[in-house]
Amino acid sequence: MANPTTNYSFAMPTNTDLVKDLPADFEVFGQAVDTTIKALNPETTLGDISYRSSTANTNTRLALGTAGQVLTVNSGATAPEWATPSSGGMTLISTTTMSGGSITLSSIPSTYVHLQLVITNYLPATDGTNLVMRFNSDSNARYKDGTSTTNNSQAFNATSIDLFAYQDSAASNGLMITDIYDYTNTTTWKFCSTQVIWNNNTTPANSDMYRIFGMYNQTGAISSITLLPSTGNFSSGSVKLYGVK
Amino acid sequence: MNEYFVKIVNVETGEEIERPMTDEEISQREKDDIEGLAKKNNYKKQIAARQAILDRLGLTEDEAKILLG
Repeated sequence: MANPTTNYSFAMPTNTDLVKDLPADFEVFGQAVDTTIKALNPETTLGDISYRSSTANTNTRLALGTAGQVLTVNSGATAPEWATPSSGGMTLISTTTMSGGSITLSSIPSTYVHLQLVITNYLPATDGTNLVMRFNSDSNARYKDGTSTTNNSQAFNATSIDLFAYQDSAASNGLMITDIYDYTNTTTWKFCSTQVIWNNNTTPANSDMYRIFGMYNQTGAISSITLLPSTGNFSSGSVKLYGVK
Repeated sequence: MNEYFVKIVNVETGEEIERPMTDEEISQREKDDIEGLAKKNNYKKQIAARQAILDRLGLTEDEAKILLG
């Protein structure tokens, strides 16, 4: 064996050392080994891990992260770190009970990629009443909706987008999901897709359903959504607004 | 609740305000009501016209759906 050792340069007694010097030599050797092992294994606590530092033969201790954190690389791309994963999926922004003549969801955060509206049990006061939607309190003829997959050369001649259609005023088992895409961009018209099932207003035990697309020919970001029955008031219902990342 | 109330929800703070509609909002509501009723009446007319055709042909709704695929 090389003396000092090849990898960690531990100095060992040599065969020419005086016997009386051996204890002292082994103390030096032992302490050097101990110091090096500790530098290579700096963990102190359950769950600690270590990684190679910029100093040779000296690792860095990384304490255990918190529940739900994942191991990732730091912003400088120089070391690992524990971090809370950026939340994907959906975040419930608000829940609102339907009442009055209209509901406006205002101050919608611009921090999501898409929005999703989920409306349950929409019940209008007037039988056979649509539920319609507007953006940014805009009631001008800047909207269009359609149920077919291809609608060419459509004029924006509606003042709102239809969601529910002709909902019964007594029974309310309806469910609607509307996705509003890329609502913060400032360069495109806005677009939403709705799937909805509701009580037929002639035979409420029967269902009506459709898939409808809504368009809005303004390029500004959407910061508020207004929902209203096409005539009269809401009797009841619930609106949940989700942000989608 | 009377027919001239609006609910405004600030989704960032959770604050909900229910207030009477302004004159401008009432005016818009009345326009919306007229438009909504017109759409509803038009829809009813379409349903009635469709039923009249089915009656003339002696077909049920289900038979018409089969026929039209």
